[in-house]
Amino acid sequence: MKTIRKQSVVVDVLIWAFLIVTAIVILAPIVFMFTASLMPSKDILKMPYPWIPKDFYMDNYTQAIRGNDGSFIYPRNILNSFIVAGAVSLSTVLLSALTGYGLAKFPFKGRNLVFLLIMATMMIPFEAIMIPLYLVATSLKIQNSYVGLILPFMINAFGIFLMRQYLITFPDEIIDAARIDGSGEFSIFWRIILPNSAPAIATLAILTFRSQWDNLLWPLLISQSEEMKTIPLYIVKFAMEKHTNEGAMMAAAAIASIPILILFLALSKYFVSGASLHSSRKG
Amino acid sequence: MRRIFNMGIEHKKARWGWFFVIPSLAFFAVFSFYPIMNAFYTSLFRKRLLDLRPPKFIGFANYEYLLKSPDFWNSVKATFIFTLGTFIPIVVFSLLLAVFIMSRRRFHKFFQMAYYSPAVLSSVVAAAIWLLIFDPRGLANTTMNTLLGTVGKDYKWLATSGMVRLSTILVYFWKYIGYFTIIFITGLASIPQSLHEAARIDGANGWKDFWHITLPLLKPTTVLVSIMSMLQCLKTFSTQYLFTQSGAPTEPINVITLNIYNTAIRDHNIGRASAMSIILFGIMLFFTWLQFRVSKSGGEVDY
Repeated sequence: MKTIRKQSVVVDVLIWAFLIVTAIVILAPIVFMFTASLMPSKDILKMPYPWIPKDFYMDNYTQAIRGNDGSFIYPRNILNSFIVAGAVSLSTVLLSALTGYGLAKFPFKGRNLVFLLIMATMMIPFEAIMIPLYLVATSLKIQNSYVGLILPFMINAFGIFLMRQYLITFPDEIIDAARIDGSGEFSIFWRIILPNSAPAIATLAILTFRSQWDNLLWPLLISQSEEMKTIPLYIVKFAMEKHTNEGAMMAAAAIASIPILILFLALSKYFVSGASLHSSRKG
Repeated sequence: MRRIFNMGIEHKKARWGWFFVIPSLAFFAVFSFYPIMNAFYTSLFRKRLLDLRPPKFIGFANYEYLLKSPDFWNSVKATFIFTLGTFIPIVVFSLLLAVFIMSRRRFHKFFQMAYYSPAVLSSVVAAAIWLLIFDPRGLANTTMNTLLGTVGKDYKWLATSGMVRLSTILVYFWKYIGYFTIIFITGLASIPQSLHEAARIDGANGWKDFWHITLPLLKPTTVLVSIMSMLQCLKTFSTQYLFTQSGAPTEPINVITLNIYNTAIRDHNIGRASAMSIILFGIMLFFTWLQFRVSKSGGEVDY
């Protein structure tokens, strides 16, 4: 009995140690980004790395925002990212809720087929259709514009799936009662369905915002002018420039990460539920 | 009379149903179904960007070319090395971390958030951070030298082909480990506590409980995580793009997506890039089909 207890204490300590060390290793690169963004380059590549910045060296941030050419294009690119990610999230939420509601609560002929067709689009990876999409965007003359950046992402099948699953359990009595009271179908959607889907909407909005904030490939194809670039493109360009030093690069990366990390800390519940929701995607 | 009235309502409902669904269908027609069909169509042509000559129909010649091209096979190889090298460690470690987290009574939320945080960052940011860590004077060398007791050795993270492959794998592993840990935690939480208690009463220790109770019941989640992470890896682009842009050798990490991008945008060869896209689509379709099949057959577990 005694040996078992001793053994389990050792195992217990080892598990704690493993979890804590893993947490440190995983967080270290993020801490590295923030601390390096506050150091002059000669400190960043010092061996060993001095984890604590001596004095808060803000020149990196100035350089990241000003750009090597002094054009101050980064704030504009940040704004673009907010506009695109915001617009895509808004439209994804509204249209997914609308379609999900239609699929959950309105029996019509061919409904299963429609649902199947929508789910089938999840199998088409963006990487496989980016070239034809690029040609579509060119022929519509929407390349290098907000419309071009936003349009291909306005709805996604996963969002529809999520909203449908959420709304399928919504009580029919409430909808019927509203109909008897004389509400139109649109006003039922707007006044009853949307406000009552808040948790699903928040999850979907956050997932969508994050993935757009991260989007590199599509803007890389269609944003030609500096004014229409988004954050990932700026970071790629800035990192390649000869005059960019290590600290400035980390400052640009830190600026890109602060909004999304704040969102994460404030609304971690929805990030986590978003991740676990993907696992319920069974078709 | 009542029947007619009911039919009226059903009719009306069906109309509204269509009305709510039509915008999405129209959207997917233009932005999903048309492009994938177009990609297939274009892959049968010799078509170049900014070319004034009309595209020439060449049947499956693009595919034939690719199947004979060492460059394309190199991309297939790079993609599969990356995918296998990333998703297997991800599945093993995320399962391990999830089990360890759930075996603790406290700090579940802290560990989940800490492990998940890299997944929140943009992939470009992740690649930029690791680019500095892999610098000859960076953290990666310092750490390796301390761990392995070497002095001032440069492990050439971004220079030799083996190391640059390992570097991209490390970035991806770091970024997605927490995401899949959370999925495993969701799976673990759905196993009824009573089963573990019953096993304990029957004299099972922690290891036996894990091996005979947790692991078999977690099979559907494991399959799901495997296929999701595999699909995710097959689509990798940002890390490889930023690494090659900043001077890392292209060949070992020239994954299919990067090759599609370069063939289309740099070489203007739209036909060939489309053929590559269709092959990538075929590979991913196969794994998605596998996911549906497996989750249908083994998806439901009786406790």
